[in-house]
Amino acid sequence: MPLDTSTYSLALLRLDGRRWNELRRLHAQISTQAAADGSSYLEMGNTKVLCTVSGPHEGKAGGAGGGPRSTQAKIEVEISFAGFSGVERKKRQAKDKRTSEMSHTLTQSLAALLLTHLYPHSTITIHLSILSQDGSLLAACINAATLALIDAGIPMTDYLCACTTAAPPTSAETEAGGDPLLDLNGQEEQELPFLTVATVGKGHAVSVLIMESRVRMEKVEGMLAVGVEGCKRVREILDKVVKEHGKRFA
Amino acid sequence: MPREAEISVNEREFIQQALRENTRLDGRAFDTFRPLELTFGDEYGVADVKLGKTRVIARISVEVTAPLPERKFDGVFQIVTEFSPMASPAFEVGRPTDAEVILARILEKAIRRSNALDTESLCIIAGLKVFHLRADVHIIDHDGGLIDASCIAVMAALQHFRRPDVIVEGEKATVLSVREREPIPLSILHTPLCVTFSYYEEGEIFLVDANLAEEQVRQGEIIITMNRHGEVCQIAKYGGATVDALSLLNCNNVALEKVKDMSKFIQERLEADAKRRDAGGLMAELSAENDR
Amino acid sequence: MESFSLKRSTVADRNQPNLSSKVYVRSTKSGKVQKIVRELYLRQDIPCSSNLCRECLRIAPKDSADKVAPFVLSDTPAGSKNYPNGQYLVPDTNAFLNGMDLFEVETAFHDVVILQTVLEEVKNRSLPLYHRLIALTKNEGKRFYVFFNEFRQETYVARNPGETINDRNDRAVRKAVQWYNQHIQEAVTARSKKSKRVPSVVMISDDRDNLRKAKADGIPASSLSDFVSGLENANELLDMISASQERQEIRSGKTEIFYPEYFTMSKMMTGVKAGTLHQGIFNVSPYNYLEGSVHVPTFDKSLLILGRENSNRAVSGDVVVVEVLPKDQWKAPSTKIIEEENVNKNDNPEAEDGENIISERERRALQEEVKRVHGQTTEGRPQPTARVVGIIKRNWRQYVGHIDRDSVRSTSKSSRQQQMVFLVPMDKKIPKIRIRTRQAGELLGQRVLATIDSWERDSRYPVGHFVRSLGELESKGAETEALLLEWDVQYRPFPKTVLDCLPPEGHDWKVPADTNDPGWRQRKDLRDLLVCSIDPPGCVDIDDALHARPLPNGNYEVGVHIADVSHFVKPNNAMDKEASSRGTTVYLVDKRIDMLPMLLGTDLCSLKPYVERYAFSVLWEITPDADIVSAHFTKSVIRSREAFSYEQAQIRIDDASQQDDLTQGMRTLLMLSKKLKQKRMDAGALNLASPEVKVQTESETSDPVDVQTKRLLDTNSLVEEFMLLANISVAGKNYEAFPQTALLRRHGAPPKTNFEELANQLKVKKGLELRTDSSKALADSLDKCVEPSEPFFNTLVRIMATRCMMSAEYFCSGTQAYPEFRHYGLASEIYTHFTSPIRRYADLEAHRQLAAAIDYEPLDPSLQSKAKLEGVCKNINVRHRNAQMAGRASIEYYVGQALKGKDITEEGFVMKIFSNGFVVFVPRFGIESLIRLRDLATPEPEADFDAENYVLDIKVGKGRKVELFEKITVRITDEKEESTGKRKVKLSLV
Repeated sequence: MPLDTSTYSLALLRLDGRRWNELRRLHAQISTQAAADGSSYLEMGNTKVLCTVSGPHEGKAGGAGGGPRSTQAKIEVEISFAGFSGVERKKRQAKDKRTSEMSHTLTQSLAALLLTHLYPHSTITIHLSILSQDGSLLAACINAATLALIDAGIPMTDYLCACTTAAPPTSAETEAGGDPLLDLNGQEEQELPFLTVATVGKGHAVSVLIMESRVRMEKVEGMLAVGVEGCKRVREILDKVVKEHGKRFA
Repeated sequence: MPREAEISVNEREFIQQALRENTRLDGRAFDTFRPLELTFGDEYGVADVKLGKTRVIARISVEVTAPLPERKFDGVFQIVTEFSPMASPAFEVGRPTDAEVILARILEKAIRRSNALDTESLCIIAGLKVFHLRADVHIIDHDGGLIDASCIAVMAALQHFRRPDVIVEGEKATVLSVREREPIPLSILHTPLCVTFSYYEEGEIFLVDANLAEEQVRQGEIIITMNRHGEVCQIAKYGGATVDALSLLNCNNVALEKVKDMSKFIQERLEADAKRRDAGGLMAELSAENDR
Repeated sequence: MESFSLKRSTVADRNQPNLSSKVYVRSTKSGKVQKIVRELYLRQDIPCSSNLCRECLRIAPKDSADKVAPFVLSDTPAGSKNYPNGQYLVPDTNAFLNGMDLFEVETAFHDVVILQTVLEEVKNRSLPLYHRLIALTKNEGKRFYVFFNEFRQETYVARNPGETINDRNDRAVRKAVQWYNQHIQEAVTARSKKSKRVPSVVMISDDRDNLRKAKADGIPASSLSDFVSGLENANELLDMISASQERQEIRSGKTEIFYPEYFTMSKMMTGVKAGTLHQGIFNVSPYNYLEGSVHVPTFDKSLLILGRENSNRAVSGDVVVVEVLPKDQWKAPSTKIIEEENVNKNDNPEAEDGENIISERERRALQEEVKRVHGQTTEGRPQPTARVVGIIKRNWRQYVGHIDRDSVRSTSKSSRQQQMVFLVPMDKKIPKIRIRTRQAGELLGQRVLATIDSWERDSRYPVGHFVRSLGELESKGAETEALLLEWDVQYRPFPKTVLDCLPPEGHDWKVPADTNDPGWRQRKDLRDLLVCSIDPPGCVDIDDALHARPLPNGNYEVGVHIADVSHFVKPNNAMDKEASSRGTTVYLVDKRIDMLPMLLGTDLCSLKPYVERYAFSVLWEITPDADIVSAHFTKSVIRSREAFSYEQAQIRIDDASQQDDLTQGMRTLLMLSKKLKQKRMDAGALNLASPEVKVQTESETSDPVDVQTKRLLDTNSLVEEFMLLANISVAGKNYEAFPQTALLRRHGAPPKTNFEELANQLKVKKGLELRTDSSKALADSLDKCVEPSEPFFNTLVRIMATRCMMSAEYFCSGTQAYPEFRHYGLASEIYTHFTSPIRRYADLEAHRQLAAAIDYEPLDPSLQSKAKLEGVCKNINVRHRNAQMAGRASIEYYVGQALKGKDITEEGFVMKIFSNGFVVFVPRFGIESLIRLRDLATPEPEADFDAENYVLDIKVGKGRKVELFEKITVRITDEKEESTGKRKVKLSLV
């Protein structure tokens, strides 16, 4: 590709023309699927996710193990990738470890967010369809799930909002580094170390933090700070979407 | 599906109460590891790690294969984890539990993705022949802290391993047996190690290296992988209760201390093993490069 | 968020960006077609960066520290004839590609706007040019500003259906220029109502179509040369264009030329059999990477191979099949230095849209060459010229080199992106290698080991992969390992199986006290003889010891005792195999890479003083006139009385007060050796010379402190004479016993043509005659090559003569006729190596044969098979040569280190002259280095090269003539090459 992240220092512009602290266009709708109990459609730039929620409904005949789980609703997360979602049309393996990890993350974070004890012996199923991938995939999934769950009317403590941040691009000359970047697209994810962070509410209560690339520990602080700020901005946008939707019923 | 035996309500209460009173069941400080043991096999590349009652064995093996078509210039490196039913009744062969998937993913991210092993140096002839390195991780006994122990085992085994030398002449490659040529160590670029933090009381209490009982009681965990140079290779906090961002940063600092200690420990064990192998100073006799 | 130390403005920007998206199709290497969609956020807060503009200052972006980057473009830009109000320049891509040198001129070309579109195109075309451009933007005095036109809403241009990328980019450039003009106009009016000087924004382009369209749209535009002619110092600058404009090909070079396909194996084989094709080893000239040669039996002179297309992907060392070209295409060997580094420095490692196999610059370099050759009459006689049609065997090995900094796209260490980079091999004969790696950032500045994997027809350079990094450039460890790898010296520890072959007693092993022990079988007890050894100081692997004593009949008994290595190293065990593959011990300045484990080499075999050791002895009866009466060979046990260094021995001999028998014996040896030497010289032995220096190192750190030329004492030649004598005696004995399989060493008489050039040079320059009909004649005529005023001249001629010789080689007696056994340099009919079995495998084999010849033990079957012996000879010949080269390279490195940071003026001699440079030899340091014309002045001075008289008339300053053999004064400095970070000894004329 002609330009890469090393030119950032020249222009203070990212590959797609954004500044360091700008989110991509975030577009979301709720109640997109009439048949589901709750649904949402969310775009973060070119990352597009469709989410449906069904439940809470009666749990499977399982629950035999008993224990505390049966006093709470069980959360199941399924993620499927559309064949056309990536650059190359490829049938994605149904159960690869990366996807399992993603659904594990969603299950774990939502379990703490939702008031599951209100629905003993039941299951909440969340289905995410990835229609298009261009970075910040996990963050988009979390945001879409939050909206769909709100649409389904399942009680939760607050919004769970996520975004990604990257360590500032460095090159040999500018080792000192600059600004962390907010909300990465696919190309930036390829080149820069980044993390996904999800917070609950307006503060800095971090629910999910996943970083998969090597980075100096001093940089984590800045990335986290920008990420938490980003989550706040995402929360504002999601909140607006929910309120807009609510107005229709007013 | 067999399950982990649930911890009883009394026990749960007891552990939590003790933690509130700044005490762990085995009397450790909150930020201490259980006693760590590391031994090497007679063969190169076998590391046996005991962390308290948890025991993990990693074994490295190598063969020559064709590279993946999209990675012509890289050797293949694979980490295979196996939870043996011997370690815990919850483990079953052939049906990976969530824990197993997560362990595999963390090792993948901590070691493979962070480029701990230089796979480019495993290439013999690009597109035709590469070394295929396989690290088998066997969980022998499970008392919590599997991720930390497995990571130590794999990294120690990698540093211990020696691969056969190879001669490339034109378009022909000859792998030399250990008898013909001293095998050579792998090119390890850095040594990432994992530290798992378990937290309790809405993120007020952080424990390092929780044992199985403590793990069952925790509200959530944060797995941080670092090397001793202060580079974070991976952070994973998969949901669970929320934690203040600042405490996360604090975990990084603690992790660095722990990683430094462990790296030093592994280094010492490796040196001790090298000394054991060089009984009678015979290695010096074999050196070909000598001062004039 | 007060708890976080990083305070960042969280206010979203005023100018919410507008959205567009970029869609394009790309095809991958594997031939798949991918459709890529990218978002594009168009904005209005990208400043014009002109100090005239206030509006932009208001909207300019702030970084996290809330600072605005200072504006770059001057408010009073320089003007020119056509644009008296001053101008901002907006060059097109081809303007940079053609005239980068111009833009770098300090006195002109200020206030330049580099458009993002252009920057991207430049990066795609040539990374090195891109790096230069980026460097310009950092040069504050030049005021170069990168304007991101693709992100600014007003200047963004969408690609029209059916429009080519080039056309779209040209349109984008025009649009940006148009906007700039308008914007500056507005800015100036906004400042003050009175319309002041409004600078024009001028597009610079060499594309006619682009210029025409610009005119039509009323956009100020000019071609590079038109613009330059409007400047003050136009003439000077115009010259630079004419030089650079020829590089047009970069843009138009889409035509794909491939290397010719190789012939099939069967076609080559029949061709070689029929004599229409020839097989040989491909060699590349060290001074011109485009010139190779192949020596084939049918032709006296090596076949010349010129240019990339003719060498057809052959790499120095490959076994190739060549076809001789028709006579009218024959060329003369080049008289010019051509270095790949300089010719192809602008190449991109990533070859995306197919590239020409031969770059335009290479073609030009060769054409100039050919022109020059045609202009000559006598000297430039064309030589048989050939082209490579196929490769029998690749001799690719691992190559040591460094990563070319200019070829690296992103030097970021965190990037996991794979990039293609160039590896520049240390060995100049090897082409650059394309390497795909993820560690480019880390590998910069390191010594890197890599291999070649393949060389496809459509790739100008071979493709390889990274093996490992040896460490930082210039560090002792990395450079030592590099030279060992480069000369294929096996330096890794011995395998453990060797342990089983060592005596179990280890260092406690002793000659058995009991003479009935099997070890004593057929061994002569020579413990009473006054034996001593003479070696270089600090020698621990003592191969040989000597003694001499008078006999009652007035003759002398002289003994040469050689370490009995064959007693310890039995044929075909693991240790023998290891030794045979290593072939020789390699001596570096501070290190020794042993052929045998230390236990044997420096202890059990080594003929250390004061202890009993097994030996293999040659005993002669010699008359006082040094005639040999008889020779006798036996295994023995000796006890050396003393281990002398050459100097100690000399002092002892010269000290008249020493009258003991040991000293007397040494005096006898010295006396006899002088007579032996005289006889040898009379027989026509050559006294050759090679530039030898010794590096003195500090004992602790082994850092070099001084360089000295080696001093030769009488005792050096004492030892040498008797070793030669022993070798000759053993050779005779072995040949007599095994006429088919004796391992011998020969030195072929050099073909006359080898001396032609040197003889001609001596004749033309000094009026001296070099006679080469026999070694005797050569020796005598060399003695006459003296210049009374310059004692070193003779040595210089000897050094040059040595280079004309063949190299000596080991061979198996059955493979050659007896007259071919002759050792030319030593003027001996037959010769072998016997006296250094600890450090040479050939000697060990000779020991085994001699032991069988005297019926001490049966001969191992491996030494009776001609085929096996030939294999051994082939290997040790290579190892021997490599060991010498490695040793030389080590000295070279240390000399370089010793000269580090120094600035010395020293005298040197011109050894070779090219049309664009000459080679100077500095005896004081034994260094030989090239001085290129372009090193003398920039731009490169013109020079007249008189090939017939070996004179280079350089037009620099008042003019300077450089002649062959001339003694000149040179300045020796060391410099760090900017691009490679490598330190080099640099010579310059004083």
